[in-house]
Amino acid sequence: MEMDRESGKLEQIVSQFRSKILHVVLDSRVPSLHRHQQHDSLSLSRVRKTDKWFNLVLGDRPPALENLNFSLRNLLDPMVIDIILVRHASCSSSVDNLYSPSAAAAGPSTETVIERWVVQYDCPRGFASPSGADASVSYKKIYKKCILLLRSLYTQMRLLPAYRIFRQLSSLNQTYNFDIVYKVSSFSHPFSREEEDGMKEYSFSPVEALPGCLCVSVTYHATLSDFDLEPLVSLPPKIITDYVGSPTTDPMRSFPSSERGAHATSFPFRGLRPPTSAPFQRPHSWSSGFHRGIPPTKTQSLAGSPPVYRTSPKPYDITSPPTDLYGNRIQNHRVSTLQQATAYDEYKLSPPFSPSASPSTPTYLSGANPLLTRHCSETAPVTIPLPPTGRSNRYLSPNSSDPSRHSLPPLSPRSSKHDTSSQESPSGIRSYRKIEALRAGESPSGLSNLYSAPKVVRDSKDDSGRFSGLLSSSGSPRIGFSRSSSRLSFQDDMDDCEFSCPFDVDDVDVSDSSSQNTENKRASEFTAQSNLVGKKSQDAAVGILVHMLRTAPPLRQDSSCYSTRSLRAEYEGGVGIASGFFMPRKTADALEELNSYREMKDLLLSKSGTQVVRKEGMK
Amino acid sequence: MNCEVCQLKELEVEHFEIREVLRCILHTIVFHRALGLIRPKDVDLELFEITYVQCGDVELEKKIDERIDHFISWVEKHPNKKSQICLSFYEVKSKQPSWFTNKTERLYWEQWYVNLNVTQHPKHHSSKSHHAKVVVDPGESATEDRSSRRAMVEASLREVLFQIIKFVNEKKDHVPPISDGVIYFPYEITIPSSSDSAFGMDMIKRMLHSGHPTMLS
Repeated sequence: MEMDRESGKLEQIVSQFRSKILHVVLDSRVPSLHRHQQHDSLSLSRVRKTDKWFNLVLGDRPPALENLNFSLRNLLDPMVIDIILVRHASCSSSVDNLYSPSAAAAGPSTETVIERWVVQYDCPRGFASPSGADASVSYKKIYKKCILLLRSLYTQMRLLPAYRIFRQLSSLNQTYNFDIVYKVSSFSHPFSREEEDGMKEYSFSPVEALPGCLCVSVTYHATLSDFDLEPLVSLPPKIITDYVGSPTTDPMRSFPSSERGAHATSFPFRGLRPPTSAPFQRPHSWSSGFHRGIPPTKTQSLAGSPPVYRTSPKPYDITSPPTDLYGNRIQNHRVSTLQQATAYDEYKLSPPFSPSASPSTPTYLSGANPLLTRHCSETAPVTIPLPPTGRSNRYLSPNSSDPSRHSLPPLSPRSSKHDTSSQESPSGIRSYRKIEALRAGESPSGLSNLYSAPKVVRDSKDDSGRFSGLLSSSGSPRIGFSRSSSRLSFQDDMDDCEFSCPFDVDDVDVSDSSSQNTENKRASEFTAQSNLVGKKSQDAAVGILVHMLRTAPPLRQDSSCYSTRSLRAEYEGGVGIASGFFMPRKTADALEELNSYREMKDLLLSKSGTQVVRKEGMK
Repeated sequence: MNCEVCQLKELEVEHFEIREVLRCILHTIVFHRALGLIRPKDVDLELFEITYVQCGDVELEKKIDERIDHFISWVEKHPNKKSQICLSFYEVKSKQPSWFTNKTERLYWEQWYVNLNVTQHPKHHSSKSHHAKVVVDPGESATEDRSSRRAMVEASLREVLFQIIKFVNEKKDHVPPISDGVIYFPYEITIPSSSDSAFGMDMIKRMLHSGHPTMLS
């Protein structure tokens, strides 16, 4: 009885030792598993029982650890932890990625084991417990030496080369062309000669745990400079905090004030962001559950529990075929690569050991927005060029019945990751937001499509990664977040693609909203008055205005931004309605034009002697 | 119980690097000897691309910083000198009181010697050389020298940290048992005194032995 108890102690120490090492390794190497830890705020008094093992508080264990089941048989098998560097190659088209998300998100990728940790309890005779009164002393010594080993392992994790790239990946401000995944198994494929070149090995001094000993060793790449690891070129995302939608969509709609609406939407980045320091967010309908991470699952308390070597019907037994774990690796890999594209918190993605894929993003991509077949670098350019022929109709049609109105410019899968640092969007993105505002306001069905999908719309192109994601917020058609991560030049996309929207003038300040409203009122007033003018004069006035708009000088950088569709929209909506969307400088000019037209109208009326027009004009 | 001694590799540092280097080394050693319940805290060095680990105890951090300040003061008075800082771990043993000794005694079971060679940054020679025929841009070469020197110091510091890990791993038997509620073993940090360094260290040791343990850092 006592011997069984003593034997259980040793097994418990060995089991917890392996779990602790796995926890330390994964915490220091895999960004996607890095939990929201608030080390400074949590006191040691609130430490879980399992966290107290070996007097090293690491916080909540990753979900992967929770699913691992160590049996007695497993304790005698080695635990092999492979840290795998996944390097993404450039992909020619991201459209394929959009519709085949199960494939690698960024084309072919190469995987290299950059570190291999092997933890083994070397005990040829099995778990024979030490006998006698010295057993307790023996366990204390074993436990103390395990603590020392773990301390040195923890320190060494931060000195090896892989830690540097882990920190890079954990960075909030940059995305890279690589990722780190892991694989845990009870056996390991030996390295080839090529792989062994450039690798070093370090073995920690074994801890005597009679009748056996605990051995920990690591084989690692001495340098990672040979790998082509580089950040992805991206423009800093910008979010327009004072975006004001188009008055034509809903003139009566009141947009949130600047102090309320001046929030940036950010997306969880690799799960590193602590929940309490979640960035301020725009109010959108789909974000209500989006930014909430999955509450940390309760750690299974193993302290004092029956020996962990008992088998249990867990689906992720470590002794299960390696494909499960490898599948998990692939899952994690996919999750990792898509993480930059998805706007999900990492906990909403399937955990590494979960067999379920992460269907939501692909489903959303394929189902929610039929027009995600985005083309020319859906990147929101600073200038909004004219669309290419044949594709422009989708985004230019002002007709609310046009299903294309419900579509959003697709986003780059890599680019739609929320980021706390994303405070602004390129000015060109504002034009897309205006499109969204217009479409959202004029097509409720399209709006519902948008709001029902609690995910970030993605660009169809991934590794071109040039387009910034657009999101719509609840209650207002403002785009919550846009971010572009791109390997290609942002400007190149702008030059290549011509896209126009009804409102290609986007640099409208909030402060001008009042003047715009005034202009709209005057414009509508003028419209009401002009409706009764002879058709010929109205057409002539419109034609003159159209001509003026076409020949107007460029606005700031938007030298080529002049959309015929926008003019058409103006035509349909009445003269002068769209005038408010121009720059203040243009608004003033339009006001002058309106005044001149009013004078013309008055002149005509006076000549015609119509009194009714005057009465209506006074309303 | 024998006292294990570890002489760390000598580091050649400049004055402004002393604080970071000492913090890194001393905290790393203490982290390996803080065997009580701790929540590790990663700290990134500003001057080097190295992350070391603290045991997260605020008081400990303050005490170490105090000793480092004292050492820096000493270095300022003794420039361009090799110096040694000793981090010792001991056990307090009660002893038979006598006329000349106190009740308690310190038994040192481990000593770490941090060897520093504090140098001044060499001035650029081109500005003073009278024989130079080629005009050298002082800015570029100075920057290159600085960066290469910085890389060497970083590599040396990394070697020292690996040396600590190796020593901790190889020698475990001399570490005393862990007491409940105690986070780290009693320690002291000895710096050179104003007077002769060897004589000063002996004096401090004698004072430490005779003084009350709480007086000591």
